[in-house]
Amino acid sequence: MRLEVKDLRKSYGPVAVLKGVDLRVEAGKVLAFLGANGAGKSTLLNCISGAQDADSGDILAGDASLRGASPRQVQDLGVAIIYQHFQVFEGLSVAENIFLGHEIKRGGRVDRRAQNAQARELLERLGVTGIDPRTDLGMLGVGERKVVEIARALRLKPKFLILDEPTASLSDKEAKALHSVIRQAVAKDGIGVIYVTHFLDEIPKVADQVTILRDGRILWTRPVDEVTIADMTDAISPDAMMHGLEKVPFSADGPAVLRLDALTTGFVGPVSAELRAGEVLGIYGLMGAGRTELLECLSGAAPKTGGRVELDGREVSFTAPRDALSKGVALVASDRKEQSLFASFPAVENLLVPHFGRSPMPKLLRSFQREGREFERAARRLNIQPPNPRLQGQRFSGGNAQKIMVGRWLVEGSGLKLLLLDEPTQGVDIGARHELYEALAEVKRKGTAVAVASSDATEICLLADKILVLGRGKQVALIDNPHDEELLIELAHRAEHSTQQELPASGAGAQQMEMMQ
Amino acid sequence: MTDTGLTRAAATADDKTERDWFEIAVAAALPAAITLLALFFYVKAPVFMTANNWIAISVQVSALMTISIPFAMLLMAGKIDLSVGSTLALCGVVAGLSFEPLGITGAVLLTLAVGTVAGLINGVLVSSIGMSPIIVTLGTLTLIRGLAQWLAPNPIFGFPEEFLVIGYERVLGLPVLTWIMLVVIALGTAVMALLPIGPQIVALGVNQRAAFLVGLRVKAIGVGLYAATGFFVAVAALMSISRINSAPAGTLGVGVELSVLTAVLLGGIPFTGGKGSVLRVVLGVWLLGMLSNGLILMNVPTELSLMTTGIVLVVAAALDVLRSRRG
Repeated sequence: MRLEVKDLRKSYGPVAVLKGVDLRVEAGKVLAFLGANGAGKSTLLNCISGAQDADSGDILAGDASLRGASPRQVQDLGVAIIYQHFQVFEGLSVAENIFLGHEIKRGGRVDRRAQNAQARELLERLGVTGIDPRTDLGMLGVGERKVVEIARALRLKPKFLILDEPTASLSDKEAKALHSVIRQAVAKDGIGVIYVTHFLDEIPKVADQVTILRDGRILWTRPVDEVTIADMTDAISPDAMMHGLEKVPFSADGPAVLRLDALTTGFVGPVSAELRAGEVLGIYGLMGAGRTELLECLSGAAPKTGGRVELDGREVSFTAPRDALSKGVALVASDRKEQSLFASFPAVENLLVPHFGRSPMPKLLRSFQREGREFERAARRLNIQPPNPRLQGQRFSGGNAQKIMVGRWLVEGSGLKLLLLDEPTQGVDIGARHELYEALAEVKRKGTAVAVASSDATEICLLADKILVLGRGKQVALIDNPHDEELLIELAHRAEHSTQQELPASGAGAQQMEMMQ
Repeated sequence: MTDTGLTRAAATADDKTERDWFEIAVAAALPAAITLLALFFYVKAPVFMTANNWIAISVQVSALMTISIPFAMLLMAGKIDLSVGSTLALCGVVAGLSFEPLGITGAVLLTLAVGTVAGLINGVLVSSIGMSPIIVTLGTLTLIRGLAQWLAPNPIFGFPEEFLVIGYERVLGLPVLTWIMLVVIALGTAVMALLPIGPQIVALGVNQRAAFLVGLRVKAIGVGLYAATGFFVAVAALMSISRINSAPAGTLGVGVELSVLTAVLLGGIPFTGGKGSVLRVVLGVWLLGMLSNGLILMNVPTELSLMTTGIVLVVAAALDVLRSRRG
């Protein structure tokens, strides 16, 4: 019995994410699955779990094909998936969590005693004795919660188990305990496991084989004792990740969408820069460098105090975000909870709130059908999980909530020219981060100019074509992306500690800088 | 990776947990209370359960309902207007004084304009300038009451017969006042449920900063809601004075802001706004109206009736706290 992926391909619009993946997991073995952010891991997992359907290729569990199956059918065919995000619930006991949706009933009522007994049995089978099935899940640590999730998955007697970064939030001790639980499950039930992780040192402890996914293809698969950590590091280094995204075509010869001429706002400025259609401007700086202030000024949320802002060659002066929006400038603010999410709104209204009553949505009467379609489109494009339009905004994980926030401006026909993003991946998990980067690549391809502010130099290097470095509100440098985080960090730090005149003159990569006008 | 905490994202529709039963219980509390109360009054005073008595209740609550609907929308948007009672008095006085010089149409139009302007003033102070809604409208509550009394130191009475028909005439079997109330309910429901402005109003109450940043007309919506509240207070004033055939500046509409607030909170709109349904507010108003009607039929003294209303409100508030803790 084996789980086999054959020449699986999946594209989002013009972006090919999976370019022919071949993968094989034998029963009774653990396959460690590695890949850089953006290599296509989450897409592959989604294809296997039934959350998405691939474009071509096949996925076989034994003799049965999983292509086109719903998540429930995939489960019934013996493939269980445990996601990185916890899907267990406080307020329910351990046993209730394990039997959630498959309660043991007697005479129409939940038979708690039987559930507790069976839960204990399941846990003991995994070599876990310290968890009382009757305790409230809220009393358990994260490691124990992961174990409960595994027990829940094993209750359905799957033949294959897929674990997505199960140790991502666990301490070393908890991770160790989890490894032994997984080995127990493999030894006792002979299941095959795909173990997705970023931690290389745990691989020899838990896996039999290692597979590297890179740029949508399997780079290699080797037995774990023939692989060194260095081999694996090579394959998943950030370079590899950039490698994947750098290929996004970009033409900088279009007309300038945005031109800043000695713009000042509050303590920020003067800033001068130019941004073309399809170009990404990275705005980098330390805390308090003025990144947020600059974006707020560009979005109309804060007034400018001097200088000029030109949009498509015409001078603009926004008095409110609404004003900017009508000219095609939109902001995804940082601090999702405080500044962009409507916690109690259902997902569909969260997505469409800027568009109600204006083009492209109907002006007079709401069209619920249309709204549903727009949400469905966004959910598919950004892989919003769960794709439930009625689920409240606050119930989504950070990554999925952020996808909705970004999705607001990807609604077709909103006439977006310039998208401003402030810390777009704050509090966003790695999988969703990739999907957001992909969405930005798509925005870019459509000829929208993008400005991304981030305190994460790696992210800036990954996304930007040009980088504006700010220090204490002053423009320190405007350079082509050097793909060198160290340089950015050095520039930003030096700006904090020295006077402005000395800045651009020295330092590595100074020749790359275009001096500001 | 700050996003590794418990997420309930998996709780999709097919996961029926205890939580859902609680939600259903809370949602059913208000209709259940109304049903039980109606049965109780029926047993104690059978006359309660007659078509005529229910029509009488509808007339009694008509003005309150007319104010409560826009008021509820204001509260959903995270604002409040405590000056509705005083504005009611001012509008009543203005109408009473202008019937003679302006005629009925002129007086009605002037009254509606006065109510709208009073609302606009509140709206500009709160939404455009950004003052605290409670403080501003507490101020205008006193100010407008004073203005009404200054305009008409003595009660005005004896309005034109053609105007008074509003208060007692029936059309298609129902009193005009009931019809007006039904139209206001229908308007409110349609605005919140069918028009694009509906979710934008609630968005203001959920997260005003986010509403501003995504480009909603935060100020205009706020001012508009206050103006609409003022307008419907004027409508309610005309309804009230047509029924009592007088406009006493000192007593007309006293305490209305509290009745409205009680009804709206009973209707499940949290004091902080951000959610709510017009139809539940209708039930809240109806519960209040039924309570006072039933207690009168049972010959319960007014003091006791007042106390009952208070208790009902506190119970409703307790339920709300319970709900937000569980949620």
